[in-house]
Parts: sequence; C-alpha cells; structure tokens
Amino acid sequence: MGRIPWLRANQMLWPWIRARVRLIGSAALGGGVLAVLGVIGLLLATPYDLAFVSTQAFSLGALCFGFGLLGWSGSVLAGSSVENAQRYLDTGMNWSEADSRRAMARIGGFGFGGMVGVIVVSSLWA
Amino acid sequence: MASKWFVVKRLLLLVPVLLGVATLVFAVLHISPGDPARVMAGQRATQEQVEMIRQETGLNDPIWVQYGRFLVETAQLKLGESYVLKPNQSVMSILKNSIPTTIELAVYGQLLGILLGLPLGVLSAIKQDSITDHITRIGALTGISVPIFWSGPIVIILFSVTLGIFPTNGRISQEFFLSDTWLFFGHELPRTGLITIDTLLLARYDAFMSAVKHLVLPASVIGFYSMALISRMMRSSMLEIIRQDYIRTARAKGQGERITILKHGLKNAFIPVITVIGIQFGTLLGGAVLTETVFGIEGIGMVLVDAIDVGDYPVVQGTVLVFALLFTLVNLGVDITYSYLDPRIQQ
Repeated sequence: MGRIPWLRANQMLWPWIRARVRLIGSAALGGGVLAVLGVIGLLLATPYDLAFVSTQAFSLGALCFGFGLLGWSGSVLAGSSVENAQRYLDTGMNWSEADSRRAMARIGGFGFGGMVGVIVVSSLWA
Repeated sequence: MASKWFVVKRLLLLVPVLLGVATLVFAVLHISPGDPARVMAGQRATQEQVEMIRQETGLNDPIWVQYGRFLVETAQLKLGESYVLKPNQSVMSILKNSIPTTIELAVYGQLLGILLGLPLGVLSAIKQDSITDHITRIGALTGISVPIFWSGPIVIILFSVTLGIFPTNGRISQEFFLSDTWLFFGHELPRTGLITIDTLLLARYDAFMSAVKHLVLPASVIGFYSMALISRMMRSSMLEIIRQDYIRTARAKGQGERITILKHGLKNAFIPVITVIGIQFGTLLGGAVLTETVFGIEGIGMVLVDAIDVGDYPVVQGTVLVFALLFTLVNLGVDITYSYLDPRIQQ
C-alpha cells in the first residue's frame, strides 16, 4: 500500500490537514461560543438593541480575524526574513516564523468563529 | 532565476494579506466612534436626512451584509467616493494623484540609505573595533532610535529656518504652479507623477532644481533612518562572511584584501541585507505618513491623516489597502531578487 505514490501522499496529507483543522477549529469554536454568550449577555444586561450589539461583536470578531489573517500571511511572506534579521542583529529573541504562523492562525480562527457566532445568534434572536 | 511556482505562490499570498487588511480596516472603522451617515450629511442635516443617507448607502443593513458587500466591491477595485475630503471624487483618482508622491519620497530616501549604509557597513566590518567602527555604530544606533517626528522638525529648524538653505515644506516652489490646481506649465500633472522626472521630461531644469531642493530634507530624514539599519545589518553580515573558510583561503592564496572583500565577500554578505532593504522600503512607505505630515507633502500618508481627521471612511479604507498592496509588492520583488541570488530559499 505504501508503495503507491498517491496513497503515500495521502498518508502524509491527512495528519497535516488534521493538525491544522484542530488548531483553527478549536480556536473557532472558542470564538463562536464566546460570541454567542457575549451577544446574549449584552442584550440581557444592557439597554442596547440587537443591531448595536451585533455590530460591535461582529467588528471585534472581524478585528481578530483580520489581525490573525494579516499576521499569518505576513509571517509566511516575511517571517524568515525577520528571523534572519534578528539573528544578524543579535536581538537574542526566540521569535520564529513557525511559532508566529501558528499563533496567528489561532487568533484568526478565533475571530472567524466569533464572526460566525454573531451571525448565528443574531439571526436566531431577530 | 526564481521558478514560476515560487512567484505564483508569493502572488497567491497577496490574497490573504489584502483580505486581512480589508477586514481590519472595516472592523476598526465600525468600532471607532462616529456615524458615517452623519459625516456625509453634514452636521446641520436633520435626522430624517441622515436616515435617508443611511438607507441609500446600505448602512442600515446587518453588519455581515455590509462586510460582504465591502469585500466584493474592494475585490472589484470599487473603493467608493470621498465623503468630505474631496466630495464626489473617486477614491481611486485621489490615490492616483498621491501615490507617486509617496513612492518618489520613499525611493529617494531608500536610495540615500543604501548608498550610505552599504559602504559604512562594510567599512565598519573590515575595520572592526576601530574608531571608524565605533562612530558608524553610534550613528546607526542614533538613526534607529531617533523618531522621524523629532528629527524632521530638527532639520527644518536647522536647515530651513536658521540656515535658510532648503525650503520648509511642499514638493516644489509655488512660482512653478500656474494655479492651485494640478496644472503645471500648462500640462496636467501627474505625467508620471514623480515631480523630479516630470520636470526633467519637460526640460525645466529650474523647476527640477526646486523639486530636488524640496526633496532633500524629507529624503534625508527617511534615508538616515534607513541607512542606520542597513549599515548595521551589512556590518553583521560582512563580519560573518569574512570569517568563512573560503575568505581565509582566498587570503592564504595571496589575493589582495580589496579583491577578497569586494569579489568574494560583498555578494554573499549582501544577501541577508536585501531582505532588510525590502522590509525597510515597506516601512518607509508607512513612515511616509509621518514624514509627509511633518514636511507638508501631499502624498498618500498625508491623505490618510486628513481622511482620518475628517472621518472620510472610503478614503481611509482605500489608502490603507494601497499601503498594504505596495508593501506586499515590494516584498514580492525582494523575495524574487533573494531567490535569484540564493536559489536555496525556493525549497
């Protein structure tokens, strides 16, 4: 089985996909749950209407998503250069492109989950 | 040579970068206080008029609908029209006029930084721990540490106000404008938009000299900052290279010091510096916000500051997106150059 190239590729591909789905999915789930609780909590505890609360909550989620996405793509684009520059400048920091990429993927996933959570809870509430 | 796949991969990365920037700008503008409908209608408008504008512009729609519409329009390069800054003028045309100004400033600043930074870095490395090295390192540290909003006014006070050598602000003397529009010697600017090139193309050397004089101070301020980082990087990189075995071998074979450094050392030491130059150029474009404000130059940075000041959301969104696009395109160019010099990076 291992001799068939596409199967061998698949054997490597699935763990790769699973690890990334777990990384982003768990963060998205967290973001989604927090968004749902946040919107419901704000609607019950404050005098603001649904439009205002969902706008603010969605914007916060979008902020996280945008930051994460930009950070992730920035890390992929320029991460190795920054890593190199730090090494040459002897900054003594342990910042690495791979760590940054993972952290940003989590933040982006969290934000995306939050955005979806706000859409779901607002649609149901309305 | 950079492989096609490498370039395509880098180009594909532009999509998440721009999506991330667009999302960030959209989110920040919606969280920040201020009502765009009120800004559009004006402070004296009635509530009914504000509501009407809100209805017409879709600001009443749920935020995710607005977000989707914003992304679709941005992807089609429909950046909207200015509300307040230049009413009814498209954001694209405003940016078209101001982008060349910023690019010109950043290019001259970067050139100055490279021309000074590279030789100083090499000199500092080959004369390690000498007085030259110490002076260069102190200069580099000063350049990195001093912010543009401080060094800008200092050079204006020194060279413009006290010594009167250079003008304080603007891109060219007012006498070269026929009116306060973009008309310039009967030709509509921008031709290329780069004022030093335009004046040369029109063979107006007096105007060219005026443009150069106006550029010296802002470009020097930017260049000094850039020079500092480039020389620091060049020094570190050069020091690492001249300790390599092949340099020792070249010396052992009796090759002259100058040839050894210039022929064998420089090219290899230059590779990591290229990436810094690229990142630095992107930073310079961003730094133009400060420089243009301090020196009163109407580039994209000043447009951004003015747009934020009056709450002109479409202009803010468009400007930030263009900044991001320029930054990533510069990085792409650097990556391709880097991969040409060091093909290992493509793997």
